Amino acid sequence: MNVLKGLRNIALGAAVALTIGAAAPAVAADSLTMWVRASGANAAQHLVDLWNSGHDQKIALTVIPDNQMVTKLATGVQAGEVPDVISFDLIYMPDFMRAGFLTDITDQMKGDANLAKVAPAYTKLATYKDRLYGTGFTPDVSILIYNKDLFKKAGLDPNKPPTTLDQIHEYAKKIHALGPDIYGFYFSGACPGCNIFTTSPMMVASGAHMLPASADEEPLDGSGVKEVLQLFRDMWTEGLVPKSAQADNGSNFVANFKTGKIGIQGAGGFLISDLKKDVPDMDFGVTFLPGIKEGQASAFVGGDVVAIPKGSKHADVALQFIKWELTDEAQLEGLAKNNILPSRTDLADNKYFKSEPRVVTTAKALGLGYVPWVFHFNDMVNSDSSPWIEMIQAAVFDGKVDEAIATAKQKMKAIASD
Amino acid sequence: MTGRGGWIGLLYLTPALLFVGAFVLYPLGQLVYLSLTSSSLLGGSEFIGLRNYIRAFTDQTFWHSLQFTIKYTVYITPILMGLGYLLALLTAGTGAIARFTRAVVFLPVVIGLGSSSLLWFWLFDQQVGLFNKLLQDLHIVSQPVVWFVDADVGLWAVIISVVWKVVGFGMILFVAAIQSVSPEINEAALIDGAGYWQRVRKVTLPLTYRTILLTTLISAIGSMLAFDQFYIMTSGGPKSETFTSVYWMYQNSFIYFKLGYGATLSIILMAIVFIAAAVQIALTRRGAVR
Repeated sequence: MNVLKGLRNIALGAAVALTIGAAAPAVAADSLTMWVRASGANAAQHLVDLWNSGHDQKIALTVIPDNQMVTKLATGVQAGEVPDVISFDLIYMPDFMRAGFLTDITDQMKGDANLAKVAPAYTKLATYKDRLYGTGFTPDVSILIYNKDLFKKAGLDPNKPPTTLDQIHEYAKKIHALGPDIYGFYFSGACPGCNIFTTSPMMVASGAHMLPASADEEPLDGSGVKEVLQLFRDMWTEGLVPKSAQADNGSNFVANFKTGKIGIQGAGGFLISDLKKDVPDMDFGVTFLPGIKEGQASAFVGGDVVAIPKGSKHADVALQFIKWELTDEAQLEGLAKNNILPSRTDLADNKYFKSEPRVVTTAKALGLGYVPWVFHFNDMVNSDSSPWIEMIQAAVFDGKVDEAIATAKQKMKAIASD
Repeated sequence: MTGRGGWIGLLYLTPALLFVGAFVLYPLGQLVYLSLTSSSLLGGSEFIGLRNYIRAFTDQTFWHSLQFTIKYTVYITPILMGLGYLLALLTAGTGAIARFTRAVVFLPVVIGLGSSSLLWFWLFDQQVGLFNKLLQDLHIVSQPVVWFVDADVGLWAVIISVVWKVVGFGMILFVAAIQSVSPEINEAALIDGAGYWQRVRKVTLPLTYRTILLTTLISAIGSMLAFDQFYIMTSGGPKSETFTSVYWMYQNSFIYFKLGYGATLSIILMAIVFIAAAVQIALTRRGAVR
């Protein structure tokens, strides 16, 4: 049996080595290896370049396609072929910690002054049974973005974005009144990830508890869930949202806003630099995603965490890298200087963001943002058949709000008990 | 296996047997074993007997996805075969135009299915897609069609894209079969006064029957295993109505991390495709005997 296991491990190791080797750059024997998912590669590269310029032990970065990260890490751990340090979508943290893929860094990080300044959502998500397994690396966060040009044309004050759900509705109506091809609001109706990122914070801001960490917890609980779904339903039936939203699986998540025909939509901080580059003439503003009442706001903290896989051959240097990436130097010169959000909230207002207050707003959203600590996030939310996206579609497009919530609750509980 | 000749024959077969053993039978055995476990992509595995199979029989999404896959196969196979055969009849000649047309129709076959699906996804886009623009310019529709908002409309969008991509493959096989029909038989029919369509029906079709059945078999199996086109173009939506069987297996294995259950579903699909293919081969033999 051991021979078989050995053979299997050799085969797995060979498969991983072949797959990674094909894409990996030439690596010196004493270099560290780091895997990063494709969507976080740009930010990670800036940090790694900065580290390499000032340290003897270099890091070689390997970019892994987003949807292959879980498979690669899982097979890598089983075969004993893992990178020294890894950065991945934060939402997998609970599953990876429970599976024993990551190294416990609680004791080594104890006393690190910078750790306490990291957006709390990261530390919460990287903690399992009171032990810490990673920290924030390259963040992104959701915000509400609005077209100031359309606000002006609709007679709205471009410096007063909506601060409640009712105001979103009211402003969207006024903007749509500008013409049949101008829409007040947009969301990607068939994209589970886009909606947990931009729609769920409105529910959380209103007081909702979203996802269950265990079968005992009630999902989609508290005020906000029904109100937000009803708001979307009303805007849909009133024609304030383009028809194409129903089938948008995320391909047009931000493309429509760039046309200048959308008044308001939830988006990510990344959109600021995209808009400045792609539509430099557009005047737009950003604000927090609001809740039912004035003063309520939230955000979904996304982006990547950094951790040390079990079996890392240079775990000590990997830990140094993790500590280093939380320093002022890395956060400001590696991230902020390149228009990327720092994961430390105390650096939201920094010299590089002075000329762009919209980025400061986004960086501040990190501090008030949430991220659900759950196992099976894919099953509950991210998959194309998740109860989350089915609930949104049934509620918004079919008008079965109560029924949709009840069904989603039931399915989420079943998944949580698995 | 008697005598020296038998052993030498076996020796010649050894490389092929080793290949099949290592790359077909061993992985198949592993798959069967995996289907009897609770293996997770995140690690951990326990032998659970037939529990996954029992679960599969109550998995409504799996049966719906299978039903949808069969529907897709039933719709697309006659279109691919009929259109492919008509194109083959048109281009079976040896003239320059026929050869050029063959090359043009065959060209999409060499493009990856993923790439072509992405291409068509954007061609169908309601805002920037050229397909909607064409329909509007021809006054077939007044407003751009949102193709993937409805499962049936989305299915037809996928069928259009796949037909464009794959029809050339069947055409080439049919051209080869049509060209292998002896010209003397056609000439004899011509002398007997048979018109073009009579010759097609009475001569060409019967003599290319085996190729038609073989191509149909390959095409139907390919359609039953459809994944890329739906993954890219419909993402299984709306409301999980366009999941194919393989897509649902992918979801279970790599999104929900349930490798054991994914393996179970693939064994079930393999059995279904195997039985369907066996029936089709049996029908082919009966047809050939007749």
